[in-house]
Amino acid sequence: MSGRAAIVHDLALEDYGFGGDHPFNPLRVRLALDLCEALGLLEDYPFVSSEPATDEDLTTVHSLTYVRMVQKAGLAAADLSNLLQYGIGTPDNPIFPDMHEACARVVGGVLAACRLVMEGNVDHAMCISGGLHHALRSAASGFCVYNDAGVAIARLKEDNPGIRIAYVDTDAHHGDGVQWMFYDDPEVMTVSMHESGRYLFPGTGGVDERGRNGGVGYSVNVPLQPYTDDESWISCFEAVVPEALRAFGPDLILTQNGCDGHALDPLTHLSATTRLYEHVPRRMHDLAHELCGGRWVATGGGGYDIWRVVPRAWTALWAAVSHQELPKNVPEAWLSKWDAKSPVTLPPLMRDAPEDYPGVPRAAKIADRNQRTVEDVLDKMLPGIS
Amino acid sequence: MLQVRDSMAREIVTLSPDETAATALALCRERRIRHLPVLKEGRLVGIVSDRDLRSSTPALGDPARAAALQEVLVEDVMAREVVSVLPDDPIEQAANTMRERKIGCLPVLEGDELVGIVTASDVMDALVYLVGANEPGSRMEVAIPDRPGSLAGAAGVFGMCGINIESAAMGSTREPGEEGAPKERVVVFRVDTIDTTEVVGYLEEAGYSVLWPPKP
Repeated sequence: MSGRAAIVHDLALEDYGFGGDHPFNPLRVRLALDLCEALGLLEDYPFVSSEPATDEDLTTVHSLTYVRMVQKAGLAAADLSNLLQYGIGTPDNPIFPDMHEACARVVGGVLAACRLVMEGNVDHAMCISGGLHHALRSAASGFCVYNDAGVAIARLKEDNPGIRIAYVDTDAHHGDGVQWMFYDDPEVMTVSMHESGRYLFPGTGGVDERGRNGGVGYSVNVPLQPYTDDESWISCFEAVVPEALRAFGPDLILTQNGCDGHALDPLTHLSATTRLYEHVPRRMHDLAHELCGGRWVATGGGGYDIWRVVPRAWTALWAAVSHQELPKNVPEAWLSKWDAKSPVTLPPLMRDAPEDYPGVPRAAKIADRNQRTVEDVLDKMLPGIS
Repeated sequence: MLQVRDSMAREIVTLSPDETAATALALCRERRIRHLPVLKEGRLVGIVSDRDLRSSTPALGDPARAAALQEVLVEDVMAREVVSVLPDDPIEQAANTMRERKIGCLPVLEGDELVGIVTASDVMDALVYLVGANEPGSRMEVAIPDRPGSLAGAAGVFGMCGINIESAAMGSTREPGEEGAPKERVVVFRVDTIDTTEVVGYLEEAGYSVLWPPKP
């Protein structure tokens, strides 16, 4: 392992997907890592493999009944009507063969990445299959079966009593599962920036969700207006995230780097470009060095334009994790390999051209509304944090 | 959940008519409430709000204030004609009464007995419950023709896609998008899916217009 960064991956992690034309397609992971490789960004970084999470790992945040249900569901002879109440077998979370195994591997990958960083083997680590932030204690939700961040945080807390962990989620959807798992825990700060839940799944993530009991102030939510662009999103991020993390003082930062807030994403209504997905990881990197000796673990998350957005966004993420320059062009080798398979024209440049994304006419109003949200967040956030 | 009895507060802070404005205002502050029913021998005889109390006494900082607060009595400022509701009235009726009379609170009477009080914020809580905003889901607005079977038809499209409906709230009629077309109603569905793209396609195909989410 060279340098101070590691990538945890294994071909088996690409088994996590729901098959058919389900939007959560593991091909996106392949496309992203293939792009990293074609750019030479993986030359000094062989994949670190990991073990699947055990039942004991999973039950730190999931109920045993639920884990058993997932195990049974993957074994063909499951009773569907019984599974529906656990969110399994729905159009969002259909059953697929060996689903427990595939899901437990993703959790194991993120857990391994966290331990590599916590044990000081590397400063930063990435497991791009992670980021399944909607999974609840006893239910699959929004394409997420097991909550990798939830398990990793719970295990880190057991291994390192007193550790303070900041979870920063910039997926277009609210990071509800992780938030609820640590809602009354003052040692875990969850920060989620997302498209307002007034319209978008899962519907939560309002400013007033701030934590419960001893954890009041340690859940931070910044709901953004539909059609928020890079400019407004970055300004909200800069106003909230550094201040929240500095006040909290984490020992490790775990990020969920879903890239479904891109203007091209089919499931959401935000207007970001690759600029956002280059900015956020660079800043998280800097904050990790400023606040916690560089200890930073990055995961993936949502991202449903798998050809034009996900590969470039997650390559930018890996470039930040591994301290490498992000090249200007998408390499010919990658384009020629995938062009014939892609239903859309693949972009030739790693960064979107601003003129291709003119934004909406109401951009100023949207930015103004977001600004007021941020003021509300800051007003309510700071008194709660010690 | 959708009757007044389900939303009302049962622990009620009350006053008697001969108490002072000072006592009443202190109660409002301590208990963080804005409306106090007034009881005489167990019967509701009036209601007083913190606003009534403030507007009938000298402003904060006025040297005459302290004396006035001791002199003004609840019976001098209370509203004597009190609009009330019954515990089994539907919550939307209480909401409509509050809106029409421009009042923020209704005492709940069972016979002569005061059994609860329902405020605008209780009505809001019932609304949140009604639209199912407390479970993970996506919000969709669908315009359907104002005729029998429309709602069932739209709901059937969700069923066909295997998507569970968490709540459906339908509004009054509105003028259709196109001239001459039948009137429409807007239905707000909350559904248990992160991905509405497929169902939006089927709804449009079946002739319903999806107002939210917007087309990509």
